[in-house]
Amino acid sequence: MDLDKIKKAIIDMDDGAVKTLVETALKEKISAQEILQNSLIAGMKEVGRLFSEQVYFVPEVLLASEAFYIGFNIISPLIKPQQGKSKAKVVMCVIEGDIHDIGKNIVKVMIEAAGYEVIDLGRNVAVKRIVDAVEKEKPDVLAMSSLMTTTMMSMTEVIKELDKMGLRKNLKIIVGGAPLNQEFCDQIGADGYGCDAQEAVQLIEELIK
Amino acid sequence: MNKILDVIEGKQNYAVFPIVGADHCARLLNLNFSEVANDGRKLAEVLEYGYNLYGYDMVLVFSDPYVEAQAMGCQIEYTPYPTIITAKTDKRFDRIPVIIEATRILKQKLDTPIFVSIKGPFSLAAFLIGIDKFLKILVKDTTAAIEAIDQALEFQKKYLSKLLAIGVNIFLGDPLASASVISPDMFEKFAYPPLRVLIDEIKDKRMIAGIHICGDTIPIIPMLDSLKADILSIEDIRPKTKTIKMGGVSTQTILHGTKAKIRAEAHMALEQAPIILATSCDVPPETNPESIKEMTRNAQ
Repeated sequence: MDLDKIKKAIIDMDDGAVKTLVETALKEKISAQEILQNSLIAGMKEVGRLFSEQVYFVPEVLLASEAFYIGFNIISPLIKPQQGKSKAKVVMCVIEGDIHDIGKNIVKVMIEAAGYEVIDLGRNVAVKRIVDAVEKEKPDVLAMSSLMTTTMMSMTEVIKELDKMGLRKNLKIIVGGAPLNQEFCDQIGADGYGCDAQEAVQLIEELIK
Repeated sequence: MNKILDVIEGKQNYAVFPIVGADHCARLLNLNFSEVANDGRKLAEVLEYGYNLYGYDMVLVFSDPYVEAQAMGCQIEYTPYPTIITAKTDKRFDRIPVIIEATRILKQKLDTPIFVSIKGPFSLAAFLIGIDKFLKILVKDTTAAIEAIDQALEFQKKYLSKLLAIGVNIFLGDPLASASVISPDMFEKFAYPPLRVLIDEIKDKRMIAGIHICGDTIPIIPMLDSLKADILSIEDIRPKTKTIKMGGVSTQTILHGTKAKIRAEAHMALEQAPIILATSCDVPPETNPESIKEMTRNAQ
């Protein structure tokens, strides 16, 4: 079976086709790892490219992500631990008071597609829960997002708390969201700012080198 | 005194309004925001306080973005500022009387143009359906999307007529209609038509109509111009527009920038006169009042 068909189904946001094609590929003894790398991840990379070129917008990316996860959930139990070894662990969340998680979810799918393990704390996450998760999970990266001017300052509290508890040593913190920029990132003492999902992935790659 | 109208009519080069809402003012007065958002007199009091403190050229009656969504059944939580936590349910909680009361008080007391912020039907429909689901049905089920937008439009027409009867100006905020979220084609198909209906109604009553869309608006500037609103409040003010622009100082600059940086951004914006010097979005509640004063000073 031509794995490009699955890639195309992701780009076409056709979740039904992704399901059928992934199941067919498995029946044809194509390995889960190969399906992941050469069709699902390849499809999302193309979706990311179309998004950065403003051919696709958020609705298309959401639907393509949905199609990606349909395929990913079928093959993920079949990927052996050593095959699926992640490059690094990322804890991510939308800050307290903010329920706008579309951007975070798009970043999540891109980060997972790039081979990272993601612990998603969800949206409207309190400072203490974020700090507790960092202490427990010991991630390489903490990614926080905010879409509102009323909530973004909570990121400062998270960073202060992590500093106070000595949890910054092996941790990189990245931030994103519509009202943020590099200046805000510098002001609050985060390690990086990404303006979209593609940039977030590049940023993580650079920070954990 | 109506410097805003003077700018629109070409009699003045600039006016100023850092987008100060009730959250910032309530914080200055150490008031619990949920009390302010649910009490018309308190809402008017905090907005009047902000106006007197900073001396800008208009007042925006703006509590939070969820007044209409909550009145239609969405549930909100205060953390401490409102955030929407569900799509439309059967439990409605109507704060529109709070907004109306505050508007009447401010209109009566202050000699400055009063604007009320209401949601564009596209963004309101997204709140009603749930943002994720709504954005997906824009592609997968356009009939359902248009039904939700029509429902939001009908609600906003009634709300608007109550506001216009008081004789106030209107700002239509449509954050999800930005090209950071949807394509220009989707804007034209879904967001533009209901904005057009509301703006025509505002203009029929000879009140000032403003549109506020944050994020990327460059690809939709020609469509925004053709809506024939009086003011376009946008993040990136560099493109030429037929409509009077509002903006110039980034939200981050007003929050963290030095006075020199605020001055520099303000001066760059004023070079594009006629303009209403403003922040690119509403000022974060924690903003230092001295920064807002610095910005306001530069346009006076």
